[in-house]
Amino acid sequence: MQTITLKLKDAVMSEIAAVPVEVDALTPDKLFGKSEAELKAVKVWWGNKQEATGDLFDVSMEGDAGSADEVKIVFEGDLRRVKRIGEGMKAGEIEARGDVDMHCGAMMEGGKVVVKGNADCWGGREMRGGELIIEGDAEDNFCAMYRGEEKGMTGGKVTVDGNAGECVGQYMAGGEILIKGNVDRLAGLSMSGGKITIEGDAELFGADMTGGEVVVKGKVLEMMPSFRFVETATVDGVEYKKYLGDFAMGEKKAKGTLYVR
Amino acid sequence: MADGELLIKNGVVYDPINGVNGEKKDICIRDGKVVESVTNPKVIDAEGRVVMPGGVDIHAHIAGAKVNAGRTMRPEDERKGVEAKTKVCRAQSGYSVPNTFATGYRYARMGYTFVMEAAMPPLLARHTHEEMIDIPILDNAAMPLIDNNWMTMEYVKSGDTDLLAAYIAWMIKATKGYGVKVVNPGGTEAWGWGKNCNLNDTVPYFDVTPAEIIKGLAEATEKFEMPHSIHVHGNMLGHPGNFETTMDTYDVVKGIKPYRDRPTMHATHTQFHSYGGTRWGDFESKAGAIADYVNKNNHVSIDLGSVILGDTTTMTADGPMEYSLYQITGRKWTNHDVELETGSGITPFLYSAKVSVHTIQWAIGQELALLIKDPWKLCLTTDHPNAGPFIGYPIIISHLMSKKRRDESAESMHKAIFDRAELPSIDREYDLNEIAIITRGMAAKTLGLHEHGKGHLGVGADADVAIYDMTPEERDAGNIQKAFLNTKYTIKSGEIVVKDGEVVAAPPGRTIFVTPECDDKLMDEMLVTLKDKFDKYYSVTFNNYPVQDAYLPNPYEIKAPWRSS
Repeated sequence: MQTITLKLKDAVMSEIAAVPVEVDALTPDKLFGKSEAELKAVKVWWGNKQEATGDLFDVSMEGDAGSADEVKIVFEGDLRRVKRIGEGMKAGEIEARGDVDMHCGAMMEGGKVVVKGNADCWGGREMRGGELIIEGDAEDNFCAMYRGEEKGMTGGKVTVDGNAGECVGQYMAGGEILIKGNVDRLAGLSMSGGKITIEGDAELFGADMTGGEVVVKGKVLEMMPSFRFVETATVDGVEYKKYLGDFAMGEKKAKGTLYVR
Repeated sequence: MADGELLIKNGVVYDPINGVNGEKKDICIRDGKVVESVTNPKVIDAEGRVVMPGGVDIHAHIAGAKVNAGRTMRPEDERKGVEAKTKVCRAQSGYSVPNTFATGYRYARMGYTFVMEAAMPPLLARHTHEEMIDIPILDNAAMPLIDNNWMTMEYVKSGDTDLLAAYIAWMIKATKGYGVKVVNPGGTEAWGWGKNCNLNDTVPYFDVTPAEIIKGLAEATEKFEMPHSIHVHGNMLGHPGNFETTMDTYDVVKGIKPYRDRPTMHATHTQFHSYGGTRWGDFESKAGAIADYVNKNNHVSIDLGSVILGDTTTMTADGPMEYSLYQITGRKWTNHDVELETGSGITPFLYSAKVSVHTIQWAIGQELALLIKDPWKLCLTTDHPNAGPFIGYPIIISHLMSKKRRDESAESMHKAIFDRAELPSIDREYDLNEIAIITRGMAAKTLGLHEHGKGHLGVGADADVAIYDMTPEERDAGNIQKAFLNTKYTIKSGEIVVKDGEVVAAPPGRTIFVTPECDDKLMDEMLVTLKDKFDKYYSVTFNNYPVQDAYLPNPYEIKAPWRSS
């Protein structure tokens, strides 16, 4: 097992306008096999300039890895303007100690990302596999598609311990999302597959849904009017009202399922 | 324009306009032009590579309101092809609707130095010119849409060709345009009423037919010494069984005497107009019938509109066609009306090798190129981005040059290609001279630009040169495709702009425009009617309408005098 600790230097965020750092080049699969000197030389975007990792982060490495699966990267320091943590990663583990900026875990294919804080918008965007855990809150468009695309998350497993913003799982086509808190409006918008479980409250979820499943265990603040009640169903020993929809998409396409209390 | 001298040595030159077919020949360049000889030049040793004049694209949608609406509605397309800025290049994005910078760089890397923007809505001409300013390297021009215009239809109805000529003269001058573009004549206006028009249907309210509009505009255009004929996207584009309409459209201008020896109609993206069958279920290729017509007649030139498989963004002034397409795909769609002049529609489209119709469409574009015997009758286009993005030209070139490549492609496509298209049974292969004809010589000639230095390498021509990283003996389709995608060198106005496939300089291009010259008395008579239209209907005033000179920082004017006879 190898642990790479990357602590963002205080100076990087010391300007009045904190210029974001994009770290999609710093994933276990991309850093596996690199020496400390090689790692420090990896280029990352800082605003519109490419800088060496060693110039922006204090780097330390411990242990050895036989494959990318055995590499763990720990991000430390003020990560509020650090974007694309774990974007596109295929294996290994990333732990971010603090709040992170947008696109955390976007397009992940494998491995595991744990954020010990909040994640800004577009976390888990177009995720294909692996596991993403946000121990705080997630913002808007969590596990959604890129703007304009017709598919969002297609695989993997995601857990948010806190609340999530608008449009969780927009255009979701596969995978599983568990939100332990509340979600803002339009969870599962245009969803075609996969499963979203919301333990807290939710509002206007499932709009334009053509497949997949949304389970809301808390309060339904407002229900989409275009779903039809089917039956009362028991899931994991709890009784739910089962709805089908969204009929706004036409009779044939209304294959989405909602379970509400 | 680069100062100083350049000598390209040891190249194998294909310059079909000057009858140069694969000759080892030096090219001398001074101050941006091809010259007889040079004294103290910088030397490029082409080492036996293929050398051609800079490519000329006769029909592509690269600039203007519609293209930009396509970019705006397709962020998922913009994310493809993202390249960070370099010391030379600005930031690039997009695949089927690339940003202006990427458009210039990618064409230049393919050895192209001139592109015609094929559809400029007159009222939005400033937007088109603003984007053309931002397209680096390429010389360009744009054709205003004049066919669904109320003034045009009223003059066609009254039969006054001279006044119609005065109107198109004013319009081409006001928009700093190049010639008359026709898109679904009458049909786009009818779309404002929720309808469409075939060639001999009556346009609602105006009581004229598309055939009459085409004939009127062709006659009016030939009143001037215009470098280019009318440029026609006919009725019923993309509809099964439209090949008869297409040939009837060609017949409309038969007998009209052109200014000098050139066709009286350029029929664009002919692939979309060569369909048999009665519905999508029995859809089939009629490229053979169209090719037969073109073989037997000289009054029509065509460009291919050949399909590139994959995702693209369709955009045209043919509003009703885009709506039909949107009904098929259910993907996003937008639509626009341009006051008294024209309209447009945009929707994304995926050409899939698994779909029978798309496979046949893919075959038709190549069949036209292979069945029309004389390459001096056609130009290579994809109607970018409608049948596919321009970046796919090298794919088409490699297919036209290799029967083997075509067979390999057909093998992995829908089997409909074997019974509802002719392509698999055609053995013809293009040689490099024929490729040079359809990608530069013919396009320049059709546009009349060969007289203004484009499309050839004779003494006095613009020093626009493409050196491809292949020898004339190359037969491997993959290598051919690679060579045509990224040149060894592209030289624009004597300046090396691409070296080893990388853009090394990005000078601004010129905008070429035509000034049709018309009698003052005739113009004044026309203006009475036109000013009334502005007062009553336009959202802008007459005086604020014309594009100012400031929108053409690098202008090149072609005068088109009134014909004496």
